[in-house]
Amino acid sequence: MIEFSNVCFAYDKNNILENINFTIDDGEFIAIVGRNGAGKTTLMKLFNGLLKPTSGTVTVEGLDTRLARTSELAGHVGFLFQNPDRQICQNTVKAEIEFGLKCILTDKNEIEERCLATMESFGFEGDKDPFSLSRGERQKVALASVLALSPKIMVLDEPTTGLDYKECMQIMEVIKDLNSRGTTVVMVCHDMELVTDFAQRVLVIGEGGVLADDVCKNVMSNDTVLRRTSLAPPQIAQLAIRLGEAFNGILAVDEMAERIEEMAN
Amino acid sequence: MKGMLEYSQGDTVIHRLNPLTKMLLAFLLCLSSFVSSHILMAVGIIIINIIVAGMAGIANKAFSLLKTLLKIGLILFLLQIFFIRTGNVILDLPLNLYITDTGLNFSVLLVLRLVGATMPLVLMLTVTKMSDLTNVFVQKLHIPYKYTFAFITALRFIPIFESEMNGIIEAQTARGVEFDTKNPLKKLKLVLPLCVPLLISSVKRIEGSAISAELRGFNVRQKNSGYKKYNFSGRDYIAMTASILTLVVSSFVA
Repeated sequence: MIEFSNVCFAYDKNNILENINFTIDDGEFIAIVGRNGAGKTTLMKLFNGLLKPTSGTVTVEGLDTRLARTSELAGHVGFLFQNPDRQICQNTVKAEIEFGLKCILTDKNEIEERCLATMESFGFEGDKDPFSLSRGERQKVALASVLALSPKIMVLDEPTTGLDYKECMQIMEVIKDLNSRGTTVVMVCHDMELVTDFAQRVLVIGEGGVLADDVCKNVMSNDTVLRRTSLAPPQIAQLAIRLGEAFNGILAVDEMAERIEEMAN
Repeated sequence: MKGMLEYSQGDTVIHRLNPLTKMLLAFLLCLSSFVSSHILMAVGIIIINIIVAGMAGIANKAFSLLKTLLKIGLILFLLQIFFIRTGNVILDLPLNLYITDTGLNFSVLLVLRLVGATMPLVLMLTVTKMSDLTNVFVQKLHIPYKYTFAFITALRFIPIFESEMNGIIEAQTARGVEFDTKNPLKKLKLVLPLCVPLLISSVKRIEGSAISAELRGFNVRQKNSGYKKYNFSGRDYIAMTASILTLVVSSFVA
């Protein structure tokens, strides 16, 4: 469980976030959306104590992030950055996955076991040099090395930037699967299609605060909020809004097809 | 200390000086802090530095630089003061350590010199546009553009590497590496594996900038390619005279 209460954050007296309040329950899948520069990444970094709130408290799994060290929180909160090259620092994929495990575990057998299990589920060859892999593959290695720690909360900062559709879907499937097994997922994303496809709840960040905090359906049909943050809902949702009341709340193509069939009958 | 070498915008007297004058000023101030062996003079040089920074509107930066340098200076001071064992003992400490008057004098002077000699170049670089510096080196000093470019690029990359390193440290802390430890030795040991990602991202970045420079006609650039002229004006001569005077005064105050 994650709790933000009255959180404010300022860089050099410039208030970025003011009075943020929300709670995230175990097992939720949340997307955080907003304009560039709205403070999404800042908000993410508050989750694992990379940034400490200027005032207010952030509690993660009962730990106050102002008191706990980020490296301690790493066992609870996995964090995947936009740029995998900042995370990858070992010569082989296997060493890379082991690296994070070694930081939080001491039992050698367990490290080996978890490492092999992770590599198998991703289908990696352990002796490959991660830097010679493609961008999408590197992102997968970075994700795998975080997942090996089996965190209860997974924070993803634009995990699919710069990936093609196939790579993007591979990453999202892994994340979805993770979520279905009980991990809380918090994801910053610019791609509204991905947000509507995967997230249950959406937090809209803008103007220094939370503009909306609701289930995905309601946010995507809330025209005022979307306009304030210059977000465009997925095309199918836009079409549904234009078609009026009868098509309320439609976010996906198959939902639309179903509704039309219902109406035709 | 963040963004120390980044250009700070302004239109003050110092900003309007010829880049070459600024470099000369920095060099002479640096020299002055070495030629004098009087503590008060060394303090004076630091004060001159701060006054110049104040005139350029970057007093805040000067103070934060001073703070950082004094921190480094403190370590040097502690090392020096216990290693110099000549002179009269003024403080006896256990473990056969003692502080002598020569040692104290020398260590204080060393720290002040370090501060006084480091500040001017950093301060002058923050009020000089890199492109102006390049142009003036090529036009006035007749240094080939390629060499100037290499020098300037090296300077320009320092803040970029710094922010890249911070990003890497953040990413590693988030996966459980204890960078937030209080033990400095442990921290140092942890930094080593990070050299790999830093090196890789640097090489990539450098390759990228080399290609883009090539695409924009790096090789056709010549001495007279810059359209801006850098003439010396009255204030340049005043600044130069002032800095030469400082050097002369400090070499007499021994």
